Amino acid sequence: MSIMDKINNLDRRIVYLLAWIFVLYPLIFPLGLPIPISSDARAWHSYVENNVKDGDTVIFTPMYGTSGMPELFPMTVATMKHLLEKDVKIVVLSFWTEGPLVFTALLRQVNPADFGYVYGVDWINLGYLPGSETAMGALATSFQNAVANDFVEGRPLSSFAIMDNIKTATDIDLIISFETGTPGAPEWLRQWNTPYGVPMIVGCIGVSVPGMIPYVNSGQVSALMPGLTVSAEYELLLQKPGLAVAGVDAVSTSHLLIVLLVVIGNIAYFLTKGDEK
Amino acid sequence: MWDTIAVWTAVFFTLGIYSILYRENPWYRIAESVYLGVAVGYGVSVDLLYIRNQWSGQWSASAGMMLLFAIIMVIGIMWYGRFNKNTFYLYRWPLAIVVGTGIGMALRTVIFAQFLEQIVAQTKTPFFVAGNMGATINNILIQIMVPSVLLYFWFTGTARESAPMKVVEKIARYTMMAGFGSAYGYTVLTRYSLFIGRSQFLLGIPPNAPENQLAFIAIAFIMLASMIGWDLTHKKTPEV
Repeated sequence: MSIMDKINNLDRRIVYLLAWIFVLYPLIFPLGLPIPISSDARAWHSYVENNVKDGDTVIFTPMYGTSGMPELFPMTVATMKHLLEKDVKIVVLSFWTEGPLVFTALLRQVNPADFGYVYGVDWINLGYLPGSETAMGALATSFQNAVANDFVEGRPLSSFAIMDNIKTATDIDLIISFETGTPGAPEWLRQWNTPYGVPMIVGCIGVSVPGMIPYVNSGQVSALMPGLTVSAEYELLLQKPGLAVAGVDAVSTSHLLIVLLVVIGNIAYFLTKGDEK
Repeated sequence: MWDTIAVWTAVFFTLGIYSILYRENPWYRIAESVYLGVAVGYGVSVDLLYIRNQWSGQWSASAGMMLLFAIIMVIGIMWYGRFNKNTFYLYRWPLAIVVGTGIGMALRTVIFAQFLEQIVAQTKTPFFVAGNMGATINNILIQIMVPSVLLYFWFTGTARESAPMKVVEKIARYTMMAGFGSAYGYTVLTRYSLFIGRSQFLLGIPPNAPENQLAFIAIAFIMLASMIGWDLTHKKTPEV
């Protein structure tokens, strides 16, 4: 069997072993590869910096579970830090069951109290709302009806000062949604953006990016944070390097591996194509 | 103490899932089954918490609302009719309500949010952007490629077989291949990001706990030794 035949019939476990090596090595011994700042990262940073005004009310929604955390959690943490540096009202909620878990993990890294935020006055956590798009529509018409109690203290929403001025979607100035799938941006667009004109910015996993671009081009999504590499760029713009920056070397080496495997696989295929005939 | 247990448990299940890369094995089966069970259990618990909050927060306020809540609960319980042949028909009622309300709510805006807005954006895309050659090329490609793909799925009429349509079809095919390639590239990014995130956890890269490293090495050694040891002692080539 020639080398090319061996490549064509490569044990998949060799590929997995190579993947482990190409990911673990740069994590253990950081390569310090340059991280150029893309227009996506600048657009996101600029939007939060310039379009979110003091006094605005923002819905901050981690619409993903633990499986989405490696890619979305760094951008969620970075954006929350950026937001907390401003004087805004923050409503945290999720239409994904694991959303509250994700936010609890976030609170272990970012404490709103350190930024002078008081729970119930400056920010509130409404937890998980079941019902997907239907629940989104219900929330838009009445926060009080859709959510009986808050997630942290289990008290009625009417007992929190922050909710005095938050009744319907018209009281919200921005939605910041981090998401891995459905419900996500299309549902927000249908229930909040189109009927009430609430602007939204979306952080999503790489798989979702091609589907999101039309919404960015049409202006329905004001800024898009596509995946881990742009998260790293955003962390650099904020001058708060975190997990995304730490992992971006591994992103580069792992993609290099994929490209190499695709090239080698194609060469081997075409060189042995005649033999098969 | 509890943090240490949590760390070792998390490392065990992470490596248990990844052990499938070597071959099918009991570590993977344990991790898979526990993960699914915990995920379903967690989902049910948060749903029940929401229902309880709704009851105490507003639906217990009056007799009328209590009655309505009871009706809603009965409809909800009818979902579980699908698990028995004799009660399967009950499941159709809540399904009809959920599908009906869902479609109704989506349809009122979908034509604007996901159809007209895209057409408007397409027509507003300028061919020439002053001082930005990249954007100009991008916009010209958009104006050619989007209509080409739309025409590709136009299946009626004799014009379909005309010579110009052959060119359009070729452009459309290349456009779709570029789109699929882009989707594949981003998919690789996502899968590797997931892997990198778990690797950062296993290596104890801050803010992950440093003791993860010890758990990683110990559990990886036990899992690999048990699987490779089993294969060697049973002299069986692992299934590729």
